[in-house]
Amino acid sequence: MEFPAALFPSYFGAGPPREEGGPAPVAGWGEHGQVLEGGPGRRQAQPAFVPRRGATGEKWEAADAAAVPVLLPSAGCWIPSPAPQDILYRGGLCRKLQAGKSGATLDFARQLGHFFVDHPEDAFGSLGQLLHKNFYLGNSKLKVTLSRNSTIRMTALVEDIDRLEARRGCPRQHLASRLRWFSHLCRDWLFEVPLGLLADCLHEELMQQWSSLLFDDSLTGGALAWLPPEDGGTPVGRLVHPGGQAMNHLYFQDVVLEELPRARGSPAQFELSGRVRQVAAARVDGEDFVGVRSDYHCGVWRVPGRTGAAPTPLQVIRTDVPASCLTVSPHLPGELSVCTQSGTVYLWSVETGLQQLRHDPQTMFFRDHSPWRWSDFTAHPRVLSCADRTGLQCLDARAPKKCHFDLFKVGEEAGCQQGERVVLPMYLGRAHPSQYLVTTQFSVYVLDERLPLVPVLKWAHMMKAPPLFAHLMPGNSGRSHQVLLGASRTQELLLLQYRGGSQSACQLAGTPQKLQSIVGCLQHLPTQLPHRQHLLKQRLAAPAAGLAATLQEDGPHKSMLVFQLSEAGDVFCQRLTHKAAQPPAPPSRDEATIAPGSSPLFEAPASSPQGLGAAAVRYRRWLRALSRACREHPRHTWHPSLSQRRLFTRRDLEGPAGPSSLQRQMRQRLRQAMQEGGRIQHWEPLAVQPPPLPQTLEPAGGPDPLSARLTAAWAGDWEQWWEERTSFSVAQRQRALRERRRRQKRARGRRSLSASFTSSLTYQSELSELSDAGHPPILSQEGSPVAGSPTVRSPPTSPAPDEALLSSQSLRCRGIPKERRKTLRDYLSVWAEGPPEPPEPPGSQASQLCIPSSQSQLSSASQPRRKRPRMGF
Amino acid sequence: SSHEHKLNFRKSKEACLSYIQDALLQKQWKRAAEFLTCYVESLEKDYSREHIGPSEMIWRIGTEILWHHSQSSMKEFNCFMEQMKTLGVKRYLKVCLEHVFHLLCNGQIDEAYQNLSLAESWRFGEQTAIQDKEMKLIEAYRGLLDYYSWSKQKNILLEHSEDGFSDLAVEQEMHSYFRKAAVNLKEIIKIPGVWDVFVKCYVDLLEFYGDHNEARQVLNEYAYNSKFPANPNAHVYLYQFLKRQGESKKSLISALKILHDIVPSHELMIDFNTMLQKSKKRKKRRLGLEVIFAALDYAGWKENAKAWSCLARQVKQIVTSEKHLDWIKQEWNSRKDWWPAFHFSRYLAKRNWQENRSLSYEKALVAGILLGKDCKYFKYVSHQGCKAQLKRFRMLKKFVNRHNPVYLRISG
Repeated sequence: MEFPAALFPSYFGAGPPREEGGPAPVAGWGEHGQVLEGGPGRRQAQPAFVPRRGATGEKWEAADAAAVPVLLPSAGCWIPSPAPQDILYRGGLCRKLQAGKSGATLDFARQLGHFFVDHPEDAFGSLGQLLHKNFYLGNSKLKVTLSRNSTIRMTALVEDIDRLEARRGCPRQHLASRLRWFSHLCRDWLFEVPLGLLADCLHEELMQQWSSLLFDDSLTGGALAWLPPEDGGTPVGRLVHPGGQAMNHLYFQDVVLEELPRARGSPAQFELSGRVRQVAAARVDGEDFVGVRSDYHCGVWRVPGRTGAAPTPLQVIRTDVPASCLTVSPHLPGELSVCTQSGTVYLWSVETGLQQLRHDPQTMFFRDHSPWRWSDFTAHPRVLSCADRTGLQCLDARAPKKCHFDLFKVGEEAGCQQGERVVLPMYLGRAHPSQYLVTTQFSVYVLDERLPLVPVLKWAHMMKAPPLFAHLMPGNSGRSHQVLLGASRTQELLLLQYRGGSQSACQLAGTPQKLQSIVGCLQHLPTQLPHRQHLLKQRLAAPAAGLAATLQEDGPHKSMLVFQLSEAGDVFCQRLTHKAAQPPAPPSRDEATIAPGSSPLFEAPASSPQGLGAAAVRYRRWLRALSRACREHPRHTWHPSLSQRRLFTRRDLEGPAGPSSLQRQMRQRLRQAMQEGGRIQHWEPLAVQPPPLPQTLEPAGGPDPLSARLTAAWAGDWEQWWEERTSFSVAQRQRALRERRRRQKRARGRRSLSASFTSSLTYQSELSELSDAGHPPILSQEGSPVAGSPTVRSPPTSPAPDEALLSSQSLRCRGIPKERRKTLRDYLSVWAEGPPEPPEPPGSQASQLCIPSSQSQLSSASQPRRKRPRMGF
Repeated sequence: SSHEHKLNFRKSKEACLSYIQDALLQKQWKRAAEFLTCYVESLEKDYSREHIGPSEMIWRIGTEILWHHSQSSMKEFNCFMEQMKTLGVKRYLKVCLEHVFHLLCNGQIDEAYQNLSLAESWRFGEQTAIQDKEMKLIEAYRGLLDYYSWSKQKNILLEHSEDGFSDLAVEQEMHSYFRKAAVNLKEIIKIPGVWDVFVKCYVDLLEFYGDHNEARQVLNEYAYNSKFPANPNAHVYLYQFLKRQGESKKSLISALKILHDIVPSHELMIDFNTMLQKSKKRKKRRLGLEVIFAALDYAGWKENAKAWSCLARQVKQIVTSEKHLDWIKQEWNSRKDWWPAFHFSRYLAKRNWQENRSLSYEKALVAGILLGKDCKYFKYVSHQGCKAQLKRFRMLKKFVNRHNPVYLRISG
């Protein structure tokens, strides 16, 4: 490993960045940076200098005018994630506000409205049932009967609401006096959840959605991987990508590298229990190891080198806090590194399990609020880098506490700007064993771990969105290395070249080059019907979700294939051909601007006998498949109907192990009572212990209203319970709930399982579970490493069985819709509070928690529901 | 209204800029140049408060276009640069530097030198910290060019002296270059930074004039001052200097020891290991083993036959003498859980055998000692070697078989 005999000169300072920051549209142009005498043995003649930036690089030219789809769109229409216009306020007021400095205005009222419409049961459940006799929904006049006094005609109200909707933004809204009167009357008692509380939660969720719209770092690293063909083998590689409506299917697709890459055969497919966020791959000893990260699960697959061999899942881990990074070791088979948002870094070996290297919720060099963490491998197989938004450190896995050094700091050391943050670090081992790439929202750095803190290369990339994806194509034998940077929201793709690192100092070669984005092909496609055009545009403009590329050498012809994955699951590909270095060519095709509609893509090339290029044929087919897939669309826009029968399957209700004798007894009684249509007056089974029945609602500390109501309903004195409840002052109730919520916030964690919110608010308790600091195993590895049988797991030792059953995580895994989780939990907690039983380990149920799951756990009714963003966005 | 006008102007300016950017990123230099001529108007009403103003943008974009445009010439480039220098006082030095860099890269050393001298004499009010740094760089680069002139004169002089006559004028010119170069170079290397070129040149000057103490001090400062980054080259320069000075083994070893501590994967570690292996002291030989083991930990050394032969030689020596087996044991302890997969897998055995037989020989020897005769790597390579009827490999097999108990002692 040689080190350059002389490096480019640079100043070195310590401390926070001094340069004022901000996006600079052209900051990367027109600078050589520094120069260095290049080429030894030239002392005699004049010294020859080489620049740090601006040396000539390889010339790559796009072969086609636009990126071409590689795979046909999957069946079933894609549901776009919320766009800014979905949650931003539109209206007269908006312009006024935005002109000021306030920035975005979130449309709170509309979302609350959505919630009431989408979850009426949760919003008005009990009152709705109680009052339905008093609301008349017909069109005809009310008959003068006895009920006249206690029944109101709702149709007029509905009409008023419609009218109000029609003149949204009208200042004369007070005309709807009837509505005001109605809302004034019932604001305090109609809602199942006190409005103020609901509003708090909704607001919090809105803010979270908005911030993830501004910058979603969960995609960091990208969910697309290319497994190249073995050296000298047939040109058939593999594309690993997520798909399906919820992006929770993992595909291993064989792809033949031809003029246009072509999918061969049907892909190996795995259904996972979460949205795939990242797919990482590395080749060790001729075998590919593919790591897959979703929020709470990470899995690893092994793909043998020979073509056609099936990928085998090796192991799965589950995390309590969302994982933010998964990288695969390029040195040792079956080693990965995992980071979670709690600030923990693990070295994960398929053979020996997890080793925690670091746990630090704080950022490394200065305070930054982002919980994002990253980790990657370095030239030394036992040294891992770990990163947060403020910089990178390298740790020795053999003594992580003692042996570490700073590799990169956002500060004066690297000449950073104020406000600059690390976006994506990547080990560039295939280019040079000790090189590292770090991207920030402003610049891209190349680091050499032998000279920490001082970037050997720095360049302002000028991308509009931070580069979340990067891909390296090493140029062997002295040629320049190609680095691709990709952004998510804007689909930008940038090709950079650099060389050096061993004999000569690192140099940026050539000019950066923008590659085609997926949405760029829109202008070349034939014009569609307006609504189709709109759908197509929406689909093509979906944020990018991954990036992969490969170099293909075919004798003297060299070409580069760049694959781009979109959030809609589409994989597009573009080919760049290498042009041998030559003096500046005369203005070629790329100088001519392409008018929309008159695309070279759809022009008949002379060479093609069919009259159309392969790309055009590809597009035709893709568009046809897309329109076919979207024709089924209306089916999905219906609200999913939930049949009572499918809500809880028997298995869902079963305890982790066989029920205890007491539970069995109770269940039998229950079943009997239900069969007879009778009721159970007293729960206590043959006088064992006084039952934990909630009595009346207490200001604080009592059982939550839902379980109280349920119990009362079971006991049959619901009416009476209701009387008591309504007599309770609403203000007092609110105060009590607020108080409890505050206490829960403070206590966090386990107590939140019996939270008092109704089901629609469970995400609140989920949040507190996520940030639970008290959990001893933040990331519990489940299962002994049984290669090839990932679903075989040894029982987790620590958590109590009912706890594991009750956690919203596990409920979700069973496909129980959010709205019902709370109910189920409360129902089960009645059981849990029964007479103490020796804790029994959960049985085979636990195996359902792992990623490579079969279809069975996902109840079909809940599936489309689950994909909807929370709170009815 | 004027406000609206201002707003529209800004919008069209932004649009124009994005067109330019697009053209640049697609290497459409001609198109970019056309847009740039429109963008120049933005200079007239420059209300922007962004930290990169329109004048800087024009400089950057214009430079980039002129670098690549098929019809641009050096004359045009110089002309453009001169204009850009007058466009912003704050940026004057930076533009000068970049201009000089471009001249240097195009081999126009004399023009570059003139530009540097001109920039050096530029004064405008109080300098900011950044300008101060840029000025120092300008001076340093001038010093560098002076150094090159000096070395040219020196070569002429050396040639002349071979011919047997001395040229006083040339000699005096050379000395004056030395003085100019030394002053400027000395200044910049006091400031923390990476100054490899400047340090090398300055030390060369000092050594020529016999000022070894100063040279040593400069190199020590460059290597050991904690305000400077941990630059491996600083240690390499010091080591090379000490070697040139014919310093004792001890001081050479101590210099390399520090390099080993900061960059265990440095290429000089082979030299270091050879030096230590030859030593009579046990401690040094022990260190040598440590050094070579540590170097082979790194991915970059994986297929370095030289390093493997160093390790193989030392291991063999220890095994035959049966002394200090504990050294190997200690080194092996922290590696035995990952070296087998990292270095001695069957896949690697196959590949090494195909690509580099002598590498596979050395590795097989180490594998056989460390992992025993049943290790996959050793088995494969020795089998292939015997099949190919290579005497070396048969000897290797014998050696490992004979010393198999060693493996038990190391792993036990």
